[in-house]
Amino acid sequence: MASSRGGGSQQVIRSGDMEKMSLDQLKAVKEQADIEVNLLQDSLNNIRTATGRLENASAALHDLSLRPQGKKMLVPLTASLYVPGTLDDADKVLVDIGTGYFVEKTMAEGKDYCERKINLLKSNFDQLIEVASKKKTLADEAGLILQAKLKQSSPSS
Amino acid sequence: MSSSSTALRDLQRDLENKANDLSKLQKDIAKSHQVRKKYTIQLGENELVLKELDLLNEDANVYKLIGPVLVKQDLAEANANVRKRIEYISAELKRLDSSLQDLEEKQHSKREAILKVQQRIQSLQAGKAKA
Repeated sequence: MASSRGGGSQQVIRSGDMEKMSLDQLKAVKEQADIEVNLLQDSLNNIRTATGRLENASAALHDLSLRPQGKKMLVPLTASLYVPGTLDDADKVLVDIGTGYFVEKTMAEGKDYCERKINLLKSNFDQLIEVASKKKTLADEAGLILQAKLKQSSPSS
Repeated sequence: MSSSSTALRDLQRDLENKANDLSKLQKDIAKSHQVRKKYTIQLGENELVLKELDLLNEDANVYKLIGPVLVKQDLAEANANVRKRIEYISAELKRLDSSLQDLEEKQHSKREAILKVQQRIQSLQAGKAKA
C-alpha cells in the first residue's frame, strides 16, 4: 500500500521478508527500527538547533555591520548589568571554529563562514531526513505486520 | 542417581559463571562503543577545524583558547597541532575498533558455550525425568 510510492522496491522486498519472520524476530526488528528512528530524530533536532544558532550569529553580524564606528552602546557584563561603551571596529570579528581555536576574520569573511556552515548543515540535514523517513516507514510496516500477526495468532491459541 | 545430580549442579554453576562472563563482556562492549562515539565526534570536529584553517590566509590571526584566555598562535603551529590530534584520534579509533572486534568475537564464543551447557543440562534433566 503505502510502500508502493517513491523508491519502494527495496521496501517491498523487506516487507516480504517480514511476512515470513517469526513473532519474536519481528518484534526485534521493530524495536531496532524504533531505536534507530529515535536516534535519527535526535540528530535532526541537534542539526536544527545548530542551524538556528548559526542563523542567529549571522543576523547579529549583519546587525553589527550596519552600525557606524563610534556608535554608543550598552554592553552586557552579566544578564542584568550593562555598561556604556562605544563601537570601535566592526570590521574585525573573532570566529570560534571549534576545539578551542578562534580565527580573526573580516566582517565579510565572518558572514561567509556562517553561510558556509549553514549550507553544510542543511545538506547534512537533507541527507539525514531521507534516511530517517526510510527507517520510519520500515518501522511502521514492521509494526503493522506485527499487529496483523498477533491478531492472527490470538484467536487460534 | 546422586552422581547425575552433582553433575547437574556442576553444570548449573558453570552456566552461571559463563552468564556472568557474558554480561561483563557486554558491558565492556557497550563502554567501548560509547568511547568510540566520543572519539568519532571529536575527529569530525577536528577535521572541520583543519578544513577551516586550510582556507585561511597565511597572515591570518589565530588564537587558541587556554582556560579563560585567548592566546595568539602561529597558523602553522595551529595547523600542525590539529593534524597531530587527528592522527592521534584516528590511531585511537583504529585501536578501539580492533579491541571491539576482539570483544565481539569473545561474546560470540561465550554465547555458544552457554548454549551448549544449557543443552547438556536439558538432556540431563530429561534423562532424570525418565528414570
